[in-house]
Amino acid sequence: MAAPEVHHLFHNPIADHSFSADRKTLAIARDTTVELYSKVGSAFKLKDELKGHDKTVTSVDIAPNSGRIVSCSQGKSTPVARNRHGVVLGGSAGPDWAGLGQAGVALTRMADRNALVWEPSPQGYKPTLVLLRINRAATFVRWSPSETKFAVGSGDRLIAVCYFEEENDWWVSKHLKKPIRSTVTTVAWHPNSVLLAAGSTDAHARVFSSFVKGVDSRPEPGVWGERLPFNTVCGEYLNNSAGWVHAVAFSPSGDALAFAAHDSSITVVYPSGPDQPPKAVISINTQLLPFMSLIWNGEAEIVAAGYDCEAFRFKGGLNGWVLSGTLESKGRPGLGEGREESALNMFRQMDLKGKVKDDTQLKTVHQNTITTLRPYETSGGSVRKFTSSGVDGRIVIWHT
Amino acid sequence: MSIIQQHTQATLSDAWRTINIDALQEDSSVNFDTSTLHPALPETSEAEVRQLTNQVRQLLRGGDAEGALRGCLESPVYRGRDEAKEAHLQTVIEVLQSIKASDMTPMLQRIYASPGGTECLDVLMKYLYKGMAVTSTPTSGGAGKSNPQTPTRMTPQQTGFSQMSGRPGGSSESTGGAMSVLLSWHEKVVDVAGLGCIGRCMTDWRKV
Repeated sequence: MAAPEVHHLFHNPIADHSFSADRKTLAIARDTTVELYSKVGSAFKLKDELKGHDKTVTSVDIAPNSGRIVSCSQGKSTPVARNRHGVVLGGSAGPDWAGLGQAGVALTRMADRNALVWEPSPQGYKPTLVLLRINRAATFVRWSPSETKFAVGSGDRLIAVCYFEEENDWWVSKHLKKPIRSTVTTVAWHPNSVLLAAGSTDAHARVFSSFVKGVDSRPEPGVWGERLPFNTVCGEYLNNSAGWVHAVAFSPSGDALAFAAHDSSITVVYPSGPDQPPKAVISINTQLLPFMSLIWNGEAEIVAAGYDCEAFRFKGGLNGWVLSGTLESKGRPGLGEGREESALNMFRQMDLKGKVKDDTQLKTVHQNTITTLRPYETSGGSVRKFTSSGVDGRIVIWHT
Repeated sequence: MSIIQQHTQATLSDAWRTINIDALQEDSSVNFDTSTLHPALPETSEAEVRQLTNQVRQLLRGGDAEGALRGCLESPVYRGRDEAKEAHLQTVIEVLQSIKASDMTPMLQRIYASPGGTECLDVLMKYLYKGMAVTSTPTSGGAGKSNPQTPTRMTPQQTGFSQMSGRPGGSSESTGGAMSVLLSWHEKVVDVAGLGCIGRCMTDWRKV
């Protein structure tokens, strides 16, 4: 296994990261800005800063085809929002300004938590404000595979599904509300861009339909259901010990759902059809700390990482899943390994720290919790490389 | 519930910070019963607990300590009267105290490797924490003696963790003994089932 490629960008937490389709641009959610890095030689150099949010940016996603970036934050965002014709729809005069639609109707008060869509243009990225109509932090955002919609999870116990309405030249947000009882921590799209999985702090992983007439084509009937009007609940899952759900993901075929919860488990659900109990719900409790993120590699492998600062591989299928080991190659040169100690250094360490060995470094590549995993290079249905980012400010490209 | 939870002279200007905005929304978590989020658990009566205790004691007398331990871990009292929960805890502690220190780790490893083993050790960890909470209160008796009328033990949320206020001045010798047994079991369980086991104890809504 080739050694992972490590990029230590800064000493701040990375809330989320996303690569463009050509892998030349890397978007990082850092503090209140979205930073864009481009690859120069073997390192990533800061190229652009997208400033629009005034609270911590919680999530960022680049649409692979259109190159649009969507970001969301814990607090209100205050750029000037205009439509295509340059008509100012609202200003940044203060927290109480009203967003006005074309008909001049006040859409909502703007003491609001919103998302921004950054459109690439020759002059740089232009932000468009998307009114999510939520009263709590936005926690997580992802483009649908079709790139016509995106979903924002929030602390307002709902998911905002946003799509662009041509005639009003405006991003519209529709709410998936029932039966969510607590903060939505994560969302993941089904390949058909209609079904949406969400994990919540009420310990449930759910599958919803986010079908929007005129935007989506009618999905093929499948294991999750046949008729799928907006806000159909196609599945609601709870594992035994029921911790907060940190991550959800559909398998590449979309016919299985995996979720990781705060009880250090991952659970894989194989549904059998609408209104029927699932074929199998497999829960693997581990000896490890909880996982924060997971990705599928084909239908028979899951990679998960979290508070243990390293990625772990799970293997299995309909008949059961097992934890098969870590992706960290032990004894890798450089990091973690003790350097040749000179006598001077040894005595200096004893004098400074009262001990010989400097044990402040973890033996893992990441030196703090991994918060996001994303596929980086895929061929066929399998992931050849994936990336991880974490609280330690590192981006690591791994080989599976 | 009062909307403004507390404010003093010093925080008067920040009074808005103490407004519990969740109370104003009817569908927020403070306004619905969170126990409705998960399926209801079957209730265990005191008679059932007594019956189980007898079976477990029989196994212990027969020398099958592992069977006895498994027996009590496979049927935890998640829902039932406090007396039933307390009685079951005492049974578990009794079994734990009867097992030799050198047998602990091999036994835990066997249980962990068997089907349903992780669940068993999670339950054991819950009882260890509950046991520590109970034995650290001064009024509660030591092992083998059920003491159902202890008022300090009754916390409204039954988490089993929040007993720090009941820290005793003079704990009896038997309490200290029970505590050291629980602590050594705790160490061994973490060795076998990992830190994940402690995490599951804290996240789980099924409280013993």
